[in-house]
Amino acid sequence: MKLTRRQFLGLVGGGGAAAVIFQACGVPEAELFVESTNQIPEDLVSGLDNWYATLCRQCPSTEGIVVRVMEGRAKKVEGNVDFPVNQGKHSARCEAGLQALYHPDRIAGPLVRTGERGGGQWEEVSWPDALGRLAQQLRGLRDPAALVMVTSPENSYSGLVADRFVTRFGGQRLRYETLESTNVRRAVKLVYGQDRMPDFDIENSAYILSFGADFLNTWGSPVRHARGYGQFRQGDRERGTHVHVDSRFSMTGASADEIFFVKPGREGLLALSIASVIIEDGMGNTAAADALTDGGRIDMGRFAPDRVADAVGVSADRIHSLAHEFAEHRPGIAIGGGSAAAHTNGLFNMIAIYSLNHLVNAVGVPGGVMFNPQPPIRDLPAVSTVSSFADWQKLAGQMRNGGVGVLMVRDADPMYGLPGATGFRDASFNVPVIVSFSNRMDDTTALADIVLPEHSYLEDWDIAVPDHGPGYQTVGFQQPVIRPFFESRGAHLGTRSFADAIMTLAADLGLDLGLPATFAEMLQDGAAQLHGEGRGSVTATDFRAFWNGALQRGGWWDANARSAEAAVRPPALPAQEEAPQFDGSGTFHLIPFASASLMDGRGASLPWLQATPDPISSATWRTWVEINAKVAEEMDIREGDLVRIVSSFGNPDASSAEGIEALAYPHPGVPPDVVCVPLGQGHRGGTRYEKGRGSNIMSILAPRADTQTGALAWAATRVSIQKTGGWVRLPKFENTVPDFPRDEEQEVIKITPTDT
Amino acid sequence: MAESAQATQKRQWGMVIDLDKCIGCQACVVACQSENNIPVNEEAHFNQRRAIQWIHIQRYWEGEWPHVKARFIPVLCQHCDNAPCEPVCPVYATYHNTEGLNVQVYNRCVGTRFCANNCPYVVRFFNFWEPAYPNSLKNQLNPDVTVRSRGIMEKCTFCVQRISRVRRQAKNDGTPIADGDRALNPACVNACPTDTLVFGDLEDPNSRVSKLRDKELVEGGRGYHLYEHLGTSPNVIYLKKVDKHAVEEPAHA
Repeated sequence: MKLTRRQFLGLVGGGGAAAVIFQACGVPEAELFVESTNQIPEDLVSGLDNWYATLCRQCPSTEGIVVRVMEGRAKKVEGNVDFPVNQGKHSARCEAGLQALYHPDRIAGPLVRTGERGGGQWEEVSWPDALGRLAQQLRGLRDPAALVMVTSPENSYSGLVADRFVTRFGGQRLRYETLESTNVRRAVKLVYGQDRMPDFDIENSAYILSFGADFLNTWGSPVRHARGYGQFRQGDRERGTHVHVDSRFSMTGASADEIFFVKPGREGLLALSIASVIIEDGMGNTAAADALTDGGRIDMGRFAPDRVADAVGVSADRIHSLAHEFAEHRPGIAIGGGSAAAHTNGLFNMIAIYSLNHLVNAVGVPGGVMFNPQPPIRDLPAVSTVSSFADWQKLAGQMRNGGVGVLMVRDADPMYGLPGATGFRDASFNVPVIVSFSNRMDDTTALADIVLPEHSYLEDWDIAVPDHGPGYQTVGFQQPVIRPFFESRGAHLGTRSFADAIMTLAADLGLDLGLPATFAEMLQDGAAQLHGEGRGSVTATDFRAFWNGALQRGGWWDANARSAEAAVRPPALPAQEEAPQFDGSGTFHLIPFASASLMDGRGASLPWLQATPDPISSATWRTWVEINAKVAEEMDIREGDLVRIVSSFGNPDASSAEGIEALAYPHPGVPPDVVCVPLGQGHRGGTRYEKGRGSNIMSILAPRADTQTGALAWAATRVSIQKTGGWVRLPKFENTVPDFPRDEEQEVIKITPTDT
Repeated sequence: MAESAQATQKRQWGMVIDLDKCIGCQACVVACQSENNIPVNEEAHFNQRRAIQWIHIQRYWEGEWPHVKARFIPVLCQHCDNAPCEPVCPVYATYHNTEGLNVQVYNRCVGTRFCANNCPYVVRFFNFWEPAYPNSLKNQLNPDVTVRSRGIMEKCTFCVQRISRVRRQAKNDGTPIADGDRALNPACVNACPTDTLVFGDLEDPNSRVSKLRDKELVEGGRGYHLYEHLGTSPNVIYLKKVDKHAVEEPAHA
């Protein structure tokens, strides 16, 4: 039979249709819709996934996470639903831990410097060789105090190993934090008698009065705060009111019902004025009022609203009504931190602010400030200590005089984050041996002589106590979710656990750390103490079951084990105001702030975080300076204009003494006499993603410190702004999406005065 | 039988976004990048207005210092029942599936970009470049999601790969799909620290989204649809921001 092409197609087509109609009798309707025969690609399910619980160590707040692992590769980070701090939620920073794990520029084995210091020439050596060289240097130290170990302030077993090593050796240990929280911690100690940061029970609160702290974004435990904040806004109870007091426009300020701009450094005076009204009008706890005024000996009248209004920059009427609102909406919390704590009178500000909680009975009650009890592990006393700026200046001096023989740095980048005026970086050239444990290049590692790259936290074990706990005993378990990425390079190359490396080193030096022989035994020993408690989230008859249970859940906690400490009798308020002092040549107050995604620069090597828009300016990848829109117009500064920020401080080396450059971002929310610059960029060294990008605002800070605690007053610098004539497009998300629709009647965000 | 009930049950996936809870923290944005293999947005991509963010936070200013407010709104594909993007696709790359999702079939897309032109919400993103990852970063890529090549349109899928997984699992186990199951929720919903985003089945009268819709939209609460006047019939419901001092005038970009 001769078949034409047309006939053939007709037959095939008809047959096909008939087959479909015939089959349709038994086929569910859903499958007859026009969809790809293979279904869409997303319908393909490939392989099984496992989720492992561990801890996120991207930022200091220590959230519990679960990591999705498929075929030995980590794929996704989500919050651990069980973990009390974050209860299933996480931040953009947690997510990016995957990029830290699979970073293309990760250091794949121990390095020793071959060229000049900071020259970037390295030779890869084996772990025994590298540790042997370090041990030899340590043995050669004439004075054991010439060993200095710098770490992050974390409270964990690896921190304990570092601690023991340094104490038994006789060296010094410093705990580094870029925007240091010394003043807040000291105030918490003085006002509440607590060694740990307390928990703010935002969820059950009716009123939040925050001063300077960007607590929803970068300050304290942002995910925990935000978790409570959602409930605070639209939860089971009446919608809470949030008033934010600041000298810059932060993300937290944007979320508040009302934001008050105070003159920089006057937050404490405002708090005292609020206290004076509450006491004067008899709205506060009388016992607390008595204690705070030292039995009436402190004249609160000098802080009356009309006497301080001008200095604070808020009208007397408003201070008065604010005090009434705060006192009448219970439970309420006053939270202070951020730039309010970063003036020369930072401690004064913090004491005044945190004392307010005593007045409104918000200490140790739900909806107020909840104390964090000590965890039931012997070796992990959760005491939050951070080295102050005074300590760093002292260390810089020691380094300059040749008093430091070996500087070991772990999970910190002081060469980047300490103000240029300390001369810390230059002084480091007098240190014979610098050792870095970082697994990516950063400004400190770039100057190292020996690099001992540690595992990523997703490859490593640990037990840690979250600094900002949930108000009850909580211990987090960190376990590797994948085998070490560089494992295939053999036992002598690749990365190692920090604790293992230190313990090997100690054994080599013949130091007895007074700890179990291996880090694994140490962790089991800690877990056994929790097991012995026989209470809390994981209980089991035998230890094996307990260990597995704690790893599965991501830790151990006991919601009933709250702090038994009663609120202490508050100490008297400062009798008079301590005025902030400023330094620098310019007319603008400089308020640096932690970048939402890069934090203090630790996230700068991760492309997801570089590309995450700032919540307010929506800027990415660059350093910008926020300047009041009207002032910018007067100065003829437009967005993207390259401006120079000059403080007259900086490194003696030429570039930073002349200030730093940043792209202008005219901002409707910044006070006219303030400019704000995010931290995070301007690394000298680093990986492909942050090298040579933006400027480092810390480099031009005035070396001013709090008069009482020696904490860095990082908001006490005055700067001037100069146009350079250059212009660079500010890479920002804003305007990627046009503000549709142009129809005036159809607003995008609808607002209602009430929620009923 | 449970299995056939699973197969035939009518579903309508939807989301409720409470603007009163959103703090603008960008956790949803990065969670989405990670889950959906969205290429890294380089500096040049922002400068050319070609950054890809299936969910993004828009920020609107109100007033001037010192009486200034910034308001945030997360915007993602609204999965419109009457989607303007669907009829203009010459190759049926974008269509409506039986569960109310507006779906993009990548291997049909020929890159005309008509759909993006027609979308009033500007939530469709075009791959102007071949996505480039350093080798080691490829280890992170989600195997459940295609990496889109140059010339392909993409947009929010409500993490359809998660829905598929859960549907399959439910079918195998003979159990119903639980409302609020974290395996079902899109990545942004799980990340959101303030619980601004709620996801679920609008056909299921007991789901959280249905209850919120009934309370806030049907019975007249804070609910509204974005650009309601366009008649796109979105499956994303916004709840108005509450502000005691509300200035009753529209926010301007």
